[in-house]
Amino acid sequence: MSDFQFLFTAWMVVWAVFFVYEVSVAKRIGHVREEIERLKQQLHD
Amino acid sequence: MNGLRAAFTLFAKECRLEFRTRELLTATVVFSLIIIVFFNFAFDPTPAEARRFGPGLLWIAFFFAGSLMVNPSFAREQTNDTLDALRMAPVPSFAVLAAKILANLVFLSIAEAILVPVFSLFYNVSLVGILGRLALVLFLGTVGLVTTGTVFSAISAHARMRELLLPVLLLPFLTPLLIAAVSTTISLFGEAHELDRTWMIFLIGFDVVFLTTSWLLSDFLAEG
Amino acid sequence: MKARISISIALALLVFCAGYAALFIAPDEATMHLIQRIFYFHVPLWTAMTVVLSIACFSNIAWLVSRRPMWDLLGASSAEVGVLCCTGGLITGMLWGKPVWGIWWTWDPRLTSTFILWLLYISYLLLRELIEDPHRRATLSAVFGIFAYLDLPIVLLATTLWPRGQHPQPVLFGGPKSINHTMLSVFFLCMVSIVLVMILILADRYRLEKLRFEADELRVEIESREMDAQSAPPTRGIVGRGMAHE
Repeated sequence: MSDFQFLFTAWMVVWAVFFVYEVSVAKRIGHVREEIERLKQQLHD
Repeated sequence: MNGLRAAFTLFAKECRLEFRTRELLTATVVFSLIIIVFFNFAFDPTPAEARRFGPGLLWIAFFFAGSLMVNPSFAREQTNDTLDALRMAPVPSFAVLAAKILANLVFLSIAEAILVPVFSLFYNVSLVGILGRLALVLFLGTVGLVTTGTVFSAISAHARMRELLLPVLLLPFLTPLLIAAVSTTISLFGEAHELDRTWMIFLIGFDVVFLTTSWLLSDFLAEG
Repeated sequence: MKARISISIALALLVFCAGYAALFIAPDEATMHLIQRIFYFHVPLWTAMTVVLSIACFSNIAWLVSRRPMWDLLGASSAEVGVLCCTGGLITGMLWGKPVWGIWWTWDPRLTSTFILWLLYISYLLLRELIEDPHRRATLSAVFGIFAYLDLPIVLLATTLWPRGQHPQPVLFGGPKSINHTMLSVFFLCMVSIVLVMILILADRYRLEKLRFEADELRVEIESREMDAQSAPPTRGIVGRGMAHE
């Protein structure tokens, strides 16, 4: 593997980790929002 | 009740409790002995290697045993809600913390006083001429260990898996203390038998910083 | 929502430009050549980590002083994002170190201190997981967070005094007096882009904590209403029936 390929792969792998983390946070936000709607519904019933 | 008097009364209570059964002391000494013995089997050191790695081994044994020893400080106050009783008592929260720090200091120092001669015997390391200075280094290292250990015991007392959590919180935190204590002891065990001034100042500084921080945050610990 | 999407796109473009500049525009370094370009990623990650963990410590103190929930939520979020930055920094450091020094790791002051920092904040997150009562969790983790942050300069001092050292000397602070202007510009571009990305990630993580807090409050309200309903006094009909018999 050339130096450039090594560098590029390293860069992409680390950004991929940050991207996966951000996606996981966004998914969890979605789930909690649904949970809040359900709880608000339950409160008003 | 005056803070100092309260601290001494509570300290006396801790000592009476411990010396009635001596469970903690016995377990600490035995555990440290096991580490000292295991080192021999794991590394099979030559006499020169024993002198070189001895300080590190000694301090690792004290740190590991100490981190287990400070655990019951607050954990055992949970039975019969004695911790709530202490909180409601008209004593400064730092008095309670100081009493436990002092008690742990005494217990760990007793364990060290037993273990250092045993270590000297097993690994043929002479303590002649350096005993006084070694006692000073042990004292400073132990103060740092029991101060932060007791505070973290208060923190982890309310957590699940506290027996495992306390060493996980404490040991990385104590890395600088370990480096300082081992470096000072290495220079003491070395040919010149000298006390490294920079590391001694570092040890004193560590103790002062974290005793002060414990004092400043003791009210929040009591509330927790 | 639209503002959020615009910000994300703008940041993505900035990161792309920074990456392009680091890989193609910045000149080659004299000794390490191409591999040195990890520096444009590695050092900004440390800066982002310092910023985020300082926010964590400030939040810990603010919680103890004010008891406003937002500080506890911000403290927890920034500790987690700080651990993320630290992990990125450690990995990029190892990826830089292997081709240049021939080894993945060495116990020199900076690497050792950073690893201890990583362990301390992982412990902080573990502590939060293991305490169930929310108020206690907030207070005790804030105390531990302050201790952990105070320990950092002490760890750095201890590891600096300790005789070791393979890490290269600082480039910007305390290093050689002159640095190529293009390198400096690319470095600051990368610094700004990475710090902004981490702040965006922190904002999202904080939003998640805030929503969880809101959900917990709703649950508590539902439970208290259910308890009120259960402990309500018996109806007149039942009492009336009993009395009518007599």
